[in-house]
Amino acid sequence: MTGVAGRSRPQAGGASRVVGRGRFRIGGVVRFVFIGIYVGFLLLPLYWMAVTSIKSQDDQLADPPVWFPGEPTTTNFADALNRFNGWKGLENSLVVAVFTTVLAVALGTAAAYSMARFRTGGKHLAFWFLSQRLLPPIAVIIPVFLLYSRYSEEWFGFVLIDTRIGLILLYTVFALPFTVWMMYAYFRQMPAELEEAALVDGCSRLQALTKIAWPLAAPGVVSAAAFAFIFSWTEFLFAQVLGRDEAVTAPVALAGMITFFQGNLYGQASALTVVSLVPALLLGILVQKHLVRGLTLGAVKG
Amino acid sequence: MDRHIRWLLVSPAVLIVVALTIFPLAFSLWVTFVRYDFTLGPEHPWVGLDNFVENWKDPVWRASLWRTAWFSVSMVAIELVLGTLLALAMLRPFRARRVLMTLFVIPLFISPVVVGGFFDLFVRRPYGVANQLASWVWPGTVTIDFSNDSPWLYLVLITADVWQWTPFMFIIILAGLSAIPDTLYEAADLDGAKPRQSFFFVTLPLVLPVVLIAVTFRLIDSAKLFDIIFSLTRGGPGTDTYTTSYYLYQQGFEFFHLGQGTAGAWMFMIILTVISYWLVRRLLKPTEEAA
Repeated sequence: MTGVAGRSRPQAGGASRVVGRGRFRIGGVVRFVFIGIYVGFLLLPLYWMAVTSIKSQDDQLADPPVWFPGEPTTTNFADALNRFNGWKGLENSLVVAVFTTVLAVALGTAAAYSMARFRTGGKHLAFWFLSQRLLPPIAVIIPVFLLYSRYSEEWFGFVLIDTRIGLILLYTVFALPFTVWMMYAYFRQMPAELEEAALVDGCSRLQALTKIAWPLAAPGVVSAAAFAFIFSWTEFLFAQVLGRDEAVTAPVALAGMITFFQGNLYGQASALTVVSLVPALLLGILVQKHLVRGLTLGAVKG
Repeated sequence: MDRHIRWLLVSPAVLIVVALTIFPLAFSLWVTFVRYDFTLGPEHPWVGLDNFVENWKDPVWRASLWRTAWFSVSMVAIELVLGTLLALAMLRPFRARRVLMTLFVIPLFISPVVVGGFFDLFVRRPYGVANQLASWVWPGTVTIDFSNDSPWLYLVLITADVWQWTPFMFIIILAGLSAIPDTLYEAADLDGAKPRQSFFFVTLPLVLPVVLIAVTFRLIDSAKLFDIIFSLTRGGPGTDTYTTSYYLYQQGFEFFHLGQGTAGAWMFMIILTVISYWLVRRLLKPTEEAA
């Protein structure tokens, strides 16, 4: 096993010197103009949201619109976090998203590896996973609610409604199709020779997965994990029905401020959204670090 | 040894999916064939295919199908083009790359229902800023009612979706591009391939499976477009922005015709299944393409 890595390392170093000579890319000025325009498109709504979070109610409803408030306020933040379930929502969202991500990536990578290397279940299993995503939520939301609130207690003796564990289990099921497919595509593309060499050198299958295949598929694992996290961090419809009180998540708390009876608590909603972006920034840093690493890892495969 | 381990690896994922979906699926299948109406009492008489027929007789349902189709196709097409260009532009390191990467993923972390709410705030007259922005680039004072007037309303919805989901395409395509071994480009280089040729013969074939997956999942999700409609337009004005999911939600949760809503959801699923199977059929082929 170490022999494999040892042999390929000098090769990787040699390749990085000539990285991408023949690569097609968008060139020079056009490239940065395009990036610039996209950044503008991205930032404008974000800026508006950020600035709304420090506006007083009067400034929010001013005509013409106020681009920066004369007297910035922090009351929206205090309000959103303490009065409108903000902290509770963020805490629940974080716990649910982290556990969902770990579960979905662990189960999904294992399944995808088996499907890619041994063709387990063939195309039927692969499409079965995908098909979990096809049914519109409306068809299952009532039965899931019944299952969680009534039958889980009648049949198994525990309640899943309004619990974090209930959301984690359901989100894992929803996140799995994407995780499985993402990793399936990566493992299929990856040459099997490296793992076979490791097996010949005396590795077990499980070691070949964790020590060779997994690190090589790192960019895929990172994107799969990121999207599992994102899915659970932003899901609204099921959280609204299944986690109203104890397991209220951030999107449910937010939607309560801007859509339902309370009407237009946009200042508070902006404030809570700004706070909820902290994990986004952390995860963004993580994602791009691994994507860059993916660039150099690619060289090992050749 | 391998024989056991292959099933051992697959079974946890399969088991958790089966455990949580078997009852909801069976229940929802049953519901499509009975009258399950919260307003009509607790009996659930068998009605055969009536629930399915009811949907097809409703012109709003048929209109919602077409609207959903052109919504999702245009949204995903724009996202694909922007995401690909962005990934190509961001592939080579430059100074601000780290900061930009972090910035680019932000929209993904905001719940779609919240994005819809903020775009509403952004365009709503008079305190929304969209008209003021338009006045800067367009002569005169612009007073478009973005949340009610016909082409603009669709534009706002599509823009909101593109704003939110272009990063999804971007990340996946960038990850796919990054995973291509440099040795392949060196080989192409040695064979005298021009950058354009290496794009079409090296980059494209290797990145295509990942792109197809991204497109398939985006198409499926955008076909189920609900959250943005829910917080931005509520389907209005009238039924002008009803997507199929919003229509079904309304049937089930506002009119309480659960049977009809669920029957519609199953029909919609069949349509989606056919389309997505067609899209991924290449990926499902057991033969490996030579990489």
